[in-house]
Amino acid sequence: MMNKTASVVIIGGGISGCAIAYSLAKKGVKDVVVVEREYLCSGATGRCGAGVRMQWGTEMNCKLAKYSIEFFETANEELEYEYDIEFKQGGYLIIAATEKEVEQFQKNIKLQNSLGIPSRYITPKEAKEIVPHMDETQILGAAFNPKDGHLNPFHTTQAYANAAQRLGVEIMKFTEVTGIDVENGKIKGVQTTKGYISTPVVVNAAGGYSQLISKMVGVEMPVFSERHQILVTEPVAPMQGPMFMSFSQNIYCQQTPHGSFIMGRGDPNEPRDLRITSSWDFLEEMAKTCIRLLPPLRELRMVRQWSGLYNMSPDRQPIYGPVKEVEGFYLACGFSGHGFMFGPVTGVVISEAILGEEPTIPVHMLGLDRFEKGELILEPSVV
Amino acid sequence: MRIESHPILTFKKGRKVKFTYNGKEMEGYEGEPIAAALHAQGVKVLGYSPNRHRPRGFYCAIGNCSSCLMVVNGKPNVRTCVEKLTEGMVVETQRGKGDLK
Repeated sequence: MMNKTASVVIIGGGISGCAIAYSLAKKGVKDVVVVEREYLCSGATGRCGAGVRMQWGTEMNCKLAKYSIEFFETANEELEYEYDIEFKQGGYLIIAATEKEVEQFQKNIKLQNSLGIPSRYITPKEAKEIVPHMDETQILGAAFNPKDGHLNPFHTTQAYANAAQRLGVEIMKFTEVTGIDVENGKIKGVQTTKGYISTPVVVNAAGGYSQLISKMVGVEMPVFSERHQILVTEPVAPMQGPMFMSFSQNIYCQQTPHGSFIMGRGDPNEPRDLRITSSWDFLEEMAKTCIRLLPPLRELRMVRQWSGLYNMSPDRQPIYGPVKEVEGFYLACGFSGHGFMFGPVTGVVISEAILGEEPTIPVHMLGLDRFEKGELILEPSVV
Repeated sequence: MRIESHPILTFKKGRKVKFTYNGKEMEGYEGEPIAAALHAQGVKVLGYSPNRHRPRGFYCAIGNCSSCLMVVNGKPNVRTCVEKLTEGMVVETQRGKGDLK
């Protein structure tokens, strides 16, 4: 057990924590420590569907995603990664299966285009050209953005972690935070299973466990963590470019560069008690939806399933920035299932908030106090 | 050598049937695993690894390891160690990852 001093302690070794650490170190901050209960990506980052899209329904989410995806395009070079983050920019094809979706997508696309996002509304026939194995008779149209895609969350997080470590960041794995000391309304230090860390700044990037961390400093957050499940199939030769997605039909499905298909769905009846077990129901429902919309995939054997936690905020947008109750306590949580794709922008805006710099994207309206004030803009486009 | 019994699978050795392996006519017994019939005919290389293209033979024999994936009746990724042989089957070596299209 060693006691130490840090300028910033980041709780959580997922994409958010590692990106924040990198951004701080790049701006010259010394003695940044990341504390991770297990191993890097052991939480939601390593369990997610790995998709990244600019096609959102709120201006804020569009901006955050656009910034992040543009970073992913050059991340291998920027982070000087010796491997490959495997960014496959094959687009997102979001099918419209109901009149309501057609209307919503046309509205979304107008907003997206106004922000420089090259999404467009396409016919079932055009959709079929992009994903030839889909049953286009079941859709009314689709939204497509060729700049969306998916990448490897493990490699991406490792790229950030390696770059951060080269800049002097310390990453403490298999280290659990057991308490946070606050004195006179200010952060004093972090108690961990591997010793005490004195620090004036703590960042809560604990994903599905963020509410437990906030509770340690007496901050209540209106979030809950919901289990989401995924399955993966055997690999086959490349046949699907984009992420295939539907809100009303409840599916997202991508083919990884390795050739296996990864797919998931949401379910409002999923448990909210932090369990990350797997269920038979999911397999049945997922397979049914998948082969109805993408019939040739019925020939694929699935090899594995797993689950992870969506840290759900009331408006499905992230919770960023300082809190008024405790000086030195910053939030980067409540990502509602899209924390991985927002990783790069999270790193930038949280480091700016800590250093008191002008934000690259103004995110002050994403503070925790928006829920008290009732200033919510609900994100309509979530699976 | 012919695989007659198996620690996990049960299969009946049926009548003699004909099948083709890469276009070549062969004989085996109905109901035995395809890989067992191939092995008995001296076919030891069942596939090739997808990245470095190295030969792959009979390995786990219980449908787990992907070493024996072949194209059977046009279908890719068939685990020939657990798929039973039938009359007239068309068995082919699979190159790379199976093609669903």
